[in-house]
Amino acid sequence: MVTQRTEVLKKALAEAIDEGLLMLGESGRDVIYFRLKQSYALKREDVSSNPEIFVSCLREIFGSGAEVIERAVIKKLYDKLGIEFKEKKDFGFMEYLNEARKFLKEG
Amino acid sequence: MLGICKVGLIIAVGLTLLYAFQGFYPDFIYVFSNAFPPVIAGAAVVTSGLSLERYWRRAKGPFPTVWFYFTLGLFLWLIGEAIWAGYTLILSVELPYPSIADAFWIGGYIPFFIGLYVYVKLFSHALTKKALAITMLVAAVLTVLVSVALLTPVLEAEEDLTKIVMDFAYPILDLALLSTALLGLIIFWKGKLRKSWLLINAAILMNACADILFSYTTAKDLYYCGHMVDVLFDLAYLFFLMAFYVHTKEF
Repeated sequence: MVTQRTEVLKKALAEAIDEGLLMLGESGRDVIYFRLKQSYALKREDVSSNPEIFVSCLREIFGSGAEVIERAVIKKLYDKLGIEFKEKKDFGFMEYLNEARKFLKEG
Repeated sequence: MLGICKVGLIIAVGLTLLYAFQGFYPDFIYVFSNAFPPVIAGAAVVTSGLSLERYWRRAKGPFPTVWFYFTLGLFLWLIGEAIWAGYTLILSVELPYPSIADAFWIGGYIPFFIGLYVYVKLFSHALTKKALAITMLVAAVLTVLVSVALLTPVLEAEEDLTKIVMDFAYPILDLALLSTALLGLIIFWKGKLRKSWLLINAAILMNACADILFSYTTAKDLYYCGHMVDVLFDLAYLFFLMAFYVHTKEF
């Protein structure tokens, strides 16, 4: 059951990252995946298993601007999981992700 | 990355020294100050165009748009530089200001501003209201200060209306670009794109200083081709070129 939930979240997150990064355009998305592979040895299919590395990579390139991309990814993820997205003060990517995990666990 | 910065620094110092010691070669500096800007502007267009080509290959999202407008803006400035060079070096016009070249220079600000705006707007949610307010306040104060500083010399010079409008338009348009670019710098300050945005800001700042001094020196009848002001225009193109190169390397 736990594995199944984890797999659902991983799949949804992988899709959300793929779609969320499209705000940078396809070429921009490719650059991010290239960077993840080059600097963090993280393949495209493994990004959803290492969300903290994904966030680090975005912050390293975009600084505060990364928040906008993270927010786009989280909104896509919540949409896929059927969770209503509500802005929360001092909530970052990992906090929203943990909330999604909790939602799946409880649901 | 350090390589381009070192090369840029060497060129910047070299250009400044070249203009500083112009007393030893006045004829050369006249030709150089008119012929070099189209060359360096052309190099900046090529660098921006390479970024455009890179993003254009998969033309979805905002970045092809951003780079299209940057390249278009720089291209219009390049035409302005080429026309100025044509007037001074071929037609021997002493000071072609205002001229048709100004139409291209002024026109170049529009796509350049759109490019900056689209880029910054994409990440604008990362800006705090405080940062936005401070930037706008700084821009407004600078605009008032520059306008007030230019008012007396420009009006005293009793120039025609077109020149008066140009004298104010360039610095004000520069400040509009600078305020938008400053927002970009704030957004990307903690990221690798900071270097590129620092250079964009430096380039626009150089242009702003150059345009303010150009308006002042032409109003006071102090400007001549090869004046120290010209080095600022050259440095602006150099910094744009470096900014776009660094951006392509980082993202």
